[in-house]
Amino acid sequence: MSTTHDRPGSGGGADVPGPLHGGPDDDYTPEQLAAMDRLELDRLGARYDGVEILHVEPGPRPGSPQERREVRKVAAAFTLAGVFALLFAVVYFGSNWFLPDWKWNAGGNNTWGALYTPLLGATMGLALIFVGVGLVLFVKNLLPHETAVQDKHDGSHFDRVTTSSTLLQTYHNADFKRRKFLTRSLGFVGGAFGLMLILPIGGLIKNPNKGNPLGTTPWANGVRLLRDDGTPIRPADQQPGSLATVFPAVEHGNKAADAAVMLIRLRPDQLQDLQPPAGQTDFPYGDYVAYSKICTHAGCPVSLYEQETGRILCPCHQSQFDVTDGAKPVFGPATRRLPMLPLALDDEGYFVARGDFPEPVGPSFWNIGRIDSGRSS
Amino acid sequence: MSTTNSSSDARPRRGLLSSRRRPSAGTPAAAARDRRRSKQRRRLANVAGLMAALVLTGVGYSVVAPGASAADDGPTFNSAVDAGRDIYTRSCITCHGSNLQGVSKRGPSLIGVGSASVYFQVHTGRMPLVRQEAQAAERPPVFSDEEIDQLMAYIQANGGGPTLPSGDLRDGDLAEGGELFRLNCAQCHNFTGEGGALSSGKRAPSLSEANDLTIYAAMLSGPENMPVFGDNQLDPSEKRAIINYVQTMKAQADPGGAGVGRVGPVAEGLVMWTVGVGVLLFGIFWMGTKAP
Amino acid sequence: MATTPTPTRPTTLVGTAALEIDDRIPISGWVRRTLNKVFPDHWSFLLGEIALYSFVVLLLSGTYLTFFYDASMQEVSYNGVYDALRGVEMSAAYQSTLNISFDVRGGLMIRQMHHWAALLFVAAIVLHLLRIYFTGAYRRPRETNWFIGIVLLVLAMLEGFAGYTLPDDLLSGTGLRIFSAVFLSIPVIGTWVYFTVFGGDFPGELIIGRLYILHVLIIPAVILALIALHLTVLVKQKHTQFPGAGRTEHNVVGHRLFPVFAGKATALFFMVFGVCAALGGLVQINPFWLFGPYNPSQVSAGSQPDWYIGFIDGGARMFPPWEIHLWGYHIPPVLWGALGIPGLMFGALALWPIIERKVTGDTASHHLLQRPRDTPVRTSLGVMALVAYGVLLITGGNDIVADKFDISLNAMTWFGRLGFVILPPIAYALTYRICLGLERHDREVLEHGIETGVIRRLPHGEFIEVHQPLGPVDEHGHGTLAYGGASVPKKMNQVGGARRAIKGFFRPIEEPAAVQAAAEREARGLEAEHASRELTGSGRPSEGGRPQEPRD
Repeated sequence: MSTTHDRPGSGGGADVPGPLHGGPDDDYTPEQLAAMDRLELDRLGARYDGVEILHVEPGPRPGSPQERREVRKVAAAFTLAGVFALLFAVVYFGSNWFLPDWKWNAGGNNTWGALYTPLLGATMGLALIFVGVGLVLFVKNLLPHETAVQDKHDGSHFDRVTTSSTLLQTYHNADFKRRKFLTRSLGFVGGAFGLMLILPIGGLIKNPNKGNPLGTTPWANGVRLLRDDGTPIRPADQQPGSLATVFPAVEHGNKAADAAVMLIRLRPDQLQDLQPPAGQTDFPYGDYVAYSKICTHAGCPVSLYEQETGRILCPCHQSQFDVTDGAKPVFGPATRRLPMLPLALDDEGYFVARGDFPEPVGPSFWNIGRIDSGRSS
Repeated sequence: MSTTNSSSDARPRRGLLSSRRRPSAGTPAAAARDRRRSKQRRRLANVAGLMAALVLTGVGYSVVAPGASAADDGPTFNSAVDAGRDIYTRSCITCHGSNLQGVSKRGPSLIGVGSASVYFQVHTGRMPLVRQEAQAAERPPVFSDEEIDQLMAYIQANGGGPTLPSGDLRDGDLAEGGELFRLNCAQCHNFTGEGGALSSGKRAPSLSEANDLTIYAAMLSGPENMPVFGDNQLDPSEKRAIINYVQTMKAQADPGGAGVGRVGPVAEGLVMWTVGVGVLLFGIFWMGTKAP
Repeated sequence: MATTPTPTRPTTLVGTAALEIDDRIPISGWVRRTLNKVFPDHWSFLLGEIALYSFVVLLLSGTYLTFFYDASMQEVSYNGVYDALRGVEMSAAYQSTLNISFDVRGGLMIRQMHHWAALLFVAAIVLHLLRIYFTGAYRRPRETNWFIGIVLLVLAMLEGFAGYTLPDDLLSGTGLRIFSAVFLSIPVIGTWVYFTVFGGDFPGELIIGRLYILHVLIIPAVILALIALHLTVLVKQKHTQFPGAGRTEHNVVGHRLFPVFAGKATALFFMVFGVCAALGGLVQINPFWLFGPYNPSQVSAGSQPDWYIGFIDGGARMFPPWEIHLWGYHIPPVLWGALGIPGLMFGALALWPIIERKVTGDTASHHLLQRPRDTPVRTSLGVMALVAYGVLLITGGNDIVADKFDISLNAMTWFGRLGFVILPPIAYALTYRICLGLERHDREVLEHGIETGVIRRLPHGEFIEVHQPLGPVDEHGHGTLAYGGASVPKKMNQVGGARRAIKGFFRPIEEPAAVQAAAEREARGLEAEHASRELTGSGRPSEGGRPQEPRD
């Protein structure tokens, strides 16, 4: 440790340079190291890092046919990678220059438009893959293969003891045990600080019980049923065995997440079997019934209407509802009926709702049985 | 879009929703439309009696009520009707009865189904039925186009009902067709008309083989479990827009490479695990092997 | 040594630059230690690297996409090049995604590459996790890294889901709606969570922006930090290795990082990048322009999440309609299917090292891996969980399966319900038997030797098959080698007893005839020796047979 060296950069100032790294620099003078060849130095460093080279399988003999073959292969792979990279550039920039326009043209001729992205992907992919292939070939077939073993060291007892002593010494010097006031004030500031940091999260929280948004929908007494294009519906408009998705005649009614309704005109034989839920026998109008389109399981729009079996299937989780039985779930994970919308005709003969749904639409939740249903007729 | 590009309100309360455009009240198209509607309402009253017959049929296929645009009778050359009767008595009478009234537990009444339904069922090979099962299978048609025309003429002459449209069936706005398709059709037939499963072994067929007339006839007649889309619910221009969308999408190449069936993430996940992971696993096996 | 060489300053430019750098920032010691680090060589150790590199691809391609994407739910009317949506009202997010795909040169390819890399990222994490699990690499001292890995898997799934939702298309919007129902189903606080996440009732106008910042900043930052931690811990603890000749709990046998390991790792990075790029161009993924913009009243048949969310969707599909009613309060079934099953799964995974330590009482440090057959209970539990996961995953796509294979949809649902309960125990029992069988076969080969296929007739007429012992034998001719946890050779050519395999991965790179000739030359030499050897009563060469030790 006490030896000094004339190391580059350390000769300038008037002060004496501190002790060097120690360790290997103590054991090996620059002269000794200069006397070793490169391989020896490599092994020396490895040994210093706890690595022993057990066995070296040399690469192919220089000048041997095998070497030439392997070099050719590696070079071919890298060349191919470069070619594909250039091809990528040609396709990328050449389109709409000396190649046809790459832009998609849904109606017209799209031969090049449909080829553009695949060509980009193929050229870029192959370029990258060939770089990888070349590297693997190079490492596997041209470099010597050594088998090395490195020792594993467990944690150092010395490190543990000294580190913990350094930490504990300061704790001891701070003397929190005796300085109670300090401890308490620290506890106080910690708690208050935590509160201060956490409270802004409150700005994210919204009250779901304000105004009963989960129990009500835009439907109300006298609200017309409109198609997606905004036209109202008369009873003669639909055929028996048909389904139309309708929306309330309010602003943005066709974008509201809970308002979509399936207006179904039953076939005569279905009408005979129709059994609305108790208390809702007056909800259908003639052979028309209207159910919420929002699945009571997970909120997907249910509308795979099988007009022969009278089943409505949800495409997300395969819940099935029977339209003639008040949209009772008959299969799948749904547990509640699709809520029924009470129908009537207005003075002009168009369909209107007689009120909101009698129960909340959409998926169940904790207090669904406790919130006000939207119907206030 | 429809025939004009006016966006003013044609009907009470519309315009509250963000809406597509319909002909405004003053245009000839709208006038024609209103005339057609009132005519159809009268006609509906007339055919109400026919519905009683339908009630009798419990089981069956493609039972639909008399169509809205019925009675614009198609070609009723007697020779065609007679030839159609021959085919009917040979191939259909067992299940549908001697007077198209249907046979209980075998086949539904054909009164009021119209030539559109006949076209759909026979042209797609669903009829004549091979065997009674949950759903008639699609297969090559049994009859020639001429025989189908004769059969259509016979059923139309004796039962009445919706008839096939004429003209360019793709004469509609592509984007509007897409919106209507997603609202009315995609839930069963998938985003791209690839079809999908229905309850208990039934399925909504893929539209990949369907031609314009078949799709139109299916919307009009509501075959099997498909709901009916009468002309007052989806007017002819909207139907044409949907057909335009379906056929355009079918013909369209995939801009992003192989479409893998256009069925979405299931196929993509499969490609990921077989091709993506497969290639890379192969790569790391190859890397790991010892050099020669 | 004749003369003492004097140290010289480097003469090359690179050497000078390196010296100048190290003179200012002394890093050569650290660099040498890193380059000298030994990594064991096994293909399965590269699975985690695939995940790492696909994450790099995700960062690169994702950054590119952020230059064009607009995380806004503002309603706009599309008027771009894709005519099948022209005039349709959509959110600005959907429009900007359309522009990336149809207006940005090469944007579609980058977008698809990003999506494929996301699928690959989660897939590689899962494969990596399975490798760690089945080889027992999570045992002390690596519980921390196992736990970090589980957190990374969950984060990767969340990150993927958030990204899947960003285009605001009909498919992902349907997925988001289902997620909203899952939030809503949480007992007591469900409605509060739901309103907090969406900033009001679904869908609101905030959720895309919130998911965007989660997707591009918060979750990636956490993932990046955890990956750094994961790798630091790995480097500190050194990699595990399979048992084998010279391998102990206190060393690592393999290649030094430089050049072999670094070369292969770099090559793998290029391959992962290349596979993502090739898929991104050649196979269309998430064609959201076909799905249309999100609209709460529209849906498509066959609506699915990406594969890594599939098992959650499967749980929701499969779970029976059991709604719990408690004094007027409801707990809907979607909670159990979509939150309970994944919660149980990730909970069990996270706690597994602790559970195993408690059950087995094994608290020692382990650096040698175990073969799956040697831990039949763990292996069988793993296969059981995998089968349950597989049933859920299939159920998550049951409508597509029903449609493509012409199976009843209701039957597929019942397959999910029954399969989830019945198949895992069967898988457990089968795996257990297979593990025991393999274990016994290892022991049998160690005791009796390898079947050589050579049939001998003894003087009294009995026919016996000659067995090749793997090591020294006792007086009964039974091998005395103990099982060491490493793979046992079971074929003669694995111990050099038959002609060795022709080298070459894709095609032979040596002449088969020459190898054959060499083998025959060798065999003739042995034949002469063999002729003078007597057979013992049990039919085995008394001193252990031809090759005493594996030759290569």
